[in-house]
Amino acid sequence: MTRNPEPTPRAAYPAGHNTHPAKPTKNMDQEIYLIGLNHRTASVEVRERFALTDCTVLEQGVVPTGDDISEVVILSTCNRVEIMAVGTGSGAPERVPERVLDCWAAARGQKRCDLEPFVYVHKGIDAVRHLFSVASSLDSMVVGEPQILGQLKDAYRKAVGRNATRVVLNRLLHKAFSVAKRVRTETAVASSAVSISYAAVELAKRIFGEMSQYKAMLVGAGEMAELAATHLLNSGIREIMVANRTFERGLQLAKQFKGEAVLFQDLFVRLAEADIVISSTGAHEPIIRARDIKDVLKRRKNRPMFFIDIAVPRDIDPDVNNLDNVYLYDIDDLKEVVEENMAQRRDEAAKARSIVEEEAGNFAKWLKSLDLQPTIVDLLRRSERIAQDELARTLKRIGPVDEPTREALQAMLCAIVKKVNHEPITFLKRRFDEEEAGTRYIDITRRMFNLDCDDVPEDAHSDRKHPQQRDDA
Amino acid sequence: MSSLELLSIAIIMLYVLGTVCIAVGLLARRDRLKRLSQWLTLAGFALHTVMLGLSMQGQTWQVLEKAYYFRMLSWSLLLIYFFVWWRLRLEFLGLTASPVALVFYVSSFMLADVQSKLPPAMSGLFFGLHIGTLFLSFSLMTMAFGSGILFLYMDRKLKHKARLSGFDRDLPALSAFDKVNHLAVMAGFPLFTLGMVSGFVWARIAWGKMLSWDPKEVVSLVVWGMFALLFHQRLALGWRGRKTAVMAIWIFAVCVFSLLGVNFLMTTHHSFNPQ
Repeated sequence: MTRNPEPTPRAAYPAGHNTHPAKPTKNMDQEIYLIGLNHRTASVEVRERFALTDCTVLEQGVVPTGDDISEVVILSTCNRVEIMAVGTGSGAPERVPERVLDCWAAARGQKRCDLEPFVYVHKGIDAVRHLFSVASSLDSMVVGEPQILGQLKDAYRKAVGRNATRVVLNRLLHKAFSVAKRVRTETAVASSAVSISYAAVELAKRIFGEMSQYKAMLVGAGEMAELAATHLLNSGIREIMVANRTFERGLQLAKQFKGEAVLFQDLFVRLAEADIVISSTGAHEPIIRARDIKDVLKRRKNRPMFFIDIAVPRDIDPDVNNLDNVYLYDIDDLKEVVEENMAQRRDEAAKARSIVEEEAGNFAKWLKSLDLQPTIVDLLRRSERIAQDELARTLKRIGPVDEPTREALQAMLCAIVKKVNHEPITFLKRRFDEEEAGTRYIDITRRMFNLDCDDVPEDAHSDRKHPQQRDDA
Repeated sequence: MSSLELLSIAIIMLYVLGTVCIAVGLLARRDRLKRLSQWLTLAGFALHTVMLGLSMQGQTWQVLEKAYYFRMLSWSLLLIYFFVWWRLRLEFLGLTASPVALVFYVSSFMLADVQSKLPPAMSGLFFGLHIGTLFLSFSLMTMAFGSGILFLYMDRKLKHKARLSGFDRDLPALSAFDKVNHLAVMAGFPLFTLGMVSGFVWARIAWGKMLSWDPKEVVSLVVWGMFALLFHQRLALGWRGRKTAVMAIWIFAVCVFSLLGVNFLMTTHHSFNPQ
């Protein structure tokens, strides 16, 4: 996993070395645009109105005008719409956002002026940074919730399927996924529960571990209890029982969870079977007391129990917590856990932002280098460096030589470097003048010679089973 | 320096490194260090096995009453650790297993000159029944001790709704610690009983009386009593969790006192002090 330490400070490269004087052949400036709205800029009504559940209309509107926009990926979820586009040509800065907004409004049968006030337009490194933040879930309503990454991957896969991406967005999206992964592994931004019901499930896991052999009992059928039960089911709990004062409602809920409804008067009899108890009745007095539970514990041979009391006023006597092998969390305890986790996430988000910042910088550097001149310079420099290293190694092995020999060797190496690179460079220059193939060949060259010193993970191409390889396109 | 001594040094180095790696790995939450510790300890254990094998070659069981006493103990500790690890995947127990094994291994050098009083004809059987069983039982209790400490730590945190640190989040669930206790008690108590009974039988044969109120015998009886209580409560009353963890810790403490304190400091016919 070590990075190739070769530095590539382009500016530091002595100008005299540049054997190919800068000759602006064609403006290949590619700029990344990100146009979108999210839960902060637009209310839910607006988001509903402009959600792009079907991206094809918009894509078809945007892409064929090839001149301005060459690539596009559209992400649309309930909390945001993000349209990533790559613009080419000198007029792009004005035309790209206009064009996208026009098509967007048209795709939803709305007027552009209704849309414009809620939309942000990012360009260049700002767009990259924004996308990386979105992918890493730093921009989400609940920071760190991981769904957005899956949604982004879906959006990208669809765009690839429709042939709407090329070099820049391919790399940008892949980079976004790897940044998200880095954020997840290097920071704890997503490692703790930030909803009450999920925090309860996390605590249950701290006590029981693997959930598949445990049963839960819902006492009362509040909304939050229902949510917690759903989380429990998702984490693999064996069965859910429901004890509700009105048996019909209990029956209904039990059916929903494929569980069993229990008569309320049988509560303490059946409680011995339950490992996790979620209580949310509207009772004014505690209904579960320590002395009842003592008896229950005896019957279940002290197997641990976890009580979650989300009712206000509380259903479960706090004394229950003093019993061995019994853990009781009430709503305030859970809120506290959530607060702590939130605070931790905020701390971690700062760390994550610096990762995003760093990676966005790297990406911008790459984008800039995706031009003819920098690539030629990098290519020559790489060869020269290899030649010099090999020369040094050889000289070390054969011992000291006199100055003329040294110079002759040096000259020979220079000649080899130039001649070896001559054909590839001529080829590149020729292709670069052609239509859009230019960027692609530059990208291929950079990757072929690893000019960006990327470390390629072993599973880098595992997702290439999708028709993303487009060299024959 | 003989090859056995070199081997010993290598073993000690590996155990020290294993201990350091698991401690740092757990506190700094580095999975790679934890795995490394596992391998280091395993390598030390392999060398340890080789060393015991080499030194037992051509010897009678008598030799094992000497320095090898603690080396066997240390070895059985790791044997049990790897067994428990294989069954329950609790890397945390490495934090007890590696250092305790190290301590006993190093202690073995203090016993270099102790002679056995056993007649060779009986020692094979006696060794298996008395020492082997007690060693395994002690090793199991060491695991119960380690998991007991962690159980009490986490139990307290959950009861008091304390804030969970990153270290806490890496800990396995409470039920896993109780499983170790269960295993240690269910397998450890019968083994301990067998070891005790065979000891008394052997005392009857060797010295003519079962019980001579020797300090070691008394301490062992105390341990047996505690162990019996724990076994009974667990099995019959379904004790688990905090109480069993506390008892396991006490049993371990008394065992260590019996192994190190009594054997070295008191006059007993189990004494290691060369007379």
